[in-house]
Amino acid sequence: MFWQQIFNGLTVGSTYSLIALGYTLIFGVLRIINMAHGQIFIFGSLVGLGLAVNSGMPIWVAFPVSIIVSSVLGLGLEFTALRPLRKKNVPHLASLISTIGFAILIEELTHIFFGADSRPVPAVGTTVIHLGTVQMRAADLIIIGISLCLMIVLHYWIQRTKMGKALRATAENIETAGILGINTNAVIIMTVVIASGLGGIAGMLIGIAYSALIPTMGLTLGFKGLAALILGGVGSIPGAMVCGVIIGMSEVLAVAYGDSSYRDAVAFCMIIIILLIRPQGLFGRKA
Amino acid sequence: MDLLNPYTLQVITFLFLNLVLAVSIYVTLSTGQLSLGHAGFMSIGAYTASIATKTYDMPILVALLLAIVVTGIVALIVGYPTLRLHGLYLAIATLGFGEVVRVIMLNLKVTNGALGLTGLKSLGTRLYDLEKVIGIDAQTFGITVTQMKALSTLIVMVILFVIILICQIRLDRSRVGRAFSAIKADETAARAMGINITYYKMLAYMIGSMMAGLSGGIYAHITTTITPDDFNYHRAVEILSFAVIGGSEVIIGPLFGATLLTGLPEFLRVLAEYKMLFYGSLLIAVMAFRPYGLITASTFDKWKNRKSRSTSGKGGV
Repeated sequence: MFWQQIFNGLTVGSTYSLIALGYTLIFGVLRIINMAHGQIFIFGSLVGLGLAVNSGMPIWVAFPVSIIVSSVLGLGLEFTALRPLRKKNVPHLASLISTIGFAILIEELTHIFFGADSRPVPAVGTTVIHLGTVQMRAADLIIIGISLCLMIVLHYWIQRTKMGKALRATAENIETAGILGINTNAVIIMTVVIASGLGGIAGMLIGIAYSALIPTMGLTLGFKGLAALILGGVGSIPGAMVCGVIIGMSEVLAVAYGDSSYRDAVAFCMIIIILLIRPQGLFGRKA
Repeated sequence: MDLLNPYTLQVITFLFLNLVLAVSIYVTLSTGQLSLGHAGFMSIGAYTASIATKTYDMPILVALLLAIVVTGIVALIVGYPTLRLHGLYLAIATLGFGEVVRVIMLNLKVTNGALGLTGLKSLGTRLYDLEKVIGIDAQTFGITVTQMKALSTLIVMVILFVIILICQIRLDRSRVGRAFSAIKADETAARAMGINITYYKMLAYMIGSMMAGLSGGIYAHITTTITPDDFNYHRAVEILSFAVIGGSEVIIGPLFGATLLTGLPEFLRVLAEYKMLFYGSLLIAVMAFRPYGLITASTFDKWKNRKSRSTSGKGGV
């Protein structure tokens, strides 16, 4: 029973990690928490799902569609809410507010286009594999596999490639990076696109995990990613990966051994506690 | 438009309620603390007052006082540790607080879960009972009972707002108000000047939260029905946007913001239908073009300069 819960937590948690990575990448480069992340990727995932289901194509088609739509929305965010605020001397919380504005906008559009009803996601990988007492759906393994692969690729890309180096330089100091000949605007655009695209994948994976997507999920899922971001230490990539899983597991355990109705409060209780004991997060460096 | 129409009266009452909320977020912001937890405090105030009047049959005045006290205590407990946090972290922690409050309210027995509390005796009815005792009747003024109730609620709300506004303006100009703005301008410098940062930040946080609690209690007794989702993340953002859109440097800013955001959807029906689209676009546009809000301290400076220039022009050569 316990190991089963841990495994379920791992499945859910790995998708939270992907969401948290979206926040981390944008924060790393821009020092901004993108409050519209959840709403952006749930919109992308709903478009992808709708297209795949309506055209009768397999669910895998939904993934590229979801990635593209989310990325385009990410670009919209960059050009409307983030870039205008970079040019002027503005209070540092202004960009937080403008991303909240963008989030409200997308949430309302989601409501207009998709209503409030939950949409079923066609079942994939229904084969059950037994490992000791733990039952694993093939779908769960696919989710964990995809998440893990993405994280490894992302890590490799940031640490080893030239573009990753430019990203790290921009994160270190945007002005110096600009002086050294890095096209920082291009780096920022790339970051926002990758972050939103990762979200797009995470959204579809969550749809598969729960066999449904709910249009209002954007907000709650965004909060989970946000919690993982704070818990891991803002801007820390390994922190986001690990803490997403930690939050997923604690939620599942809280439901299994405690009260299921407090599920959504678990993540927030954890961040309030961590902010009080260790404000820099589990993996963060002291500022 | 019939001015004594109960609907119109209620809209204006809500406008004044939002003005009180605008003052409450202004106080918190006046020490530079961005709080997304005001909806949470409003929720605590609303539930405290409602349970007091509904279950324990207390008079509304006592219930509202109780709401203020309870919110104040919660603000003290929550505020003390969170005030060490700055900027983004404080915003996220208060956002978390609001969500935790919502989930708790959804699950407690005394709050009746997701169904919320219904059938509260409204403020208007209570006031009308009082008016009947002292011998004022709706017929005296030749209006219906509903109109009379709505009108009494509105008058009480206006009086309350004026009292709060006067207190706030006095506070702004006092030693405390100056300490607030010193902290907002530069915390380190303020500390060097011998200002007790923790004390004043806590004070601002508590005043703001208690005001939110009070408006929550009143809100519950105007609508007569409350559910935990009345005080969700969107409400927190709405309250914050009063100050963000209107501007948080001078008190006129948030008041203007609240009036604009409450009033416009009423006048433009199209806006009411797409209210949230309007909110979102407005937030983005204001941040892009006037990041300090529509009304800032310098707005009036310019106006005063122009006025003094024109008068000096007249008086000059």
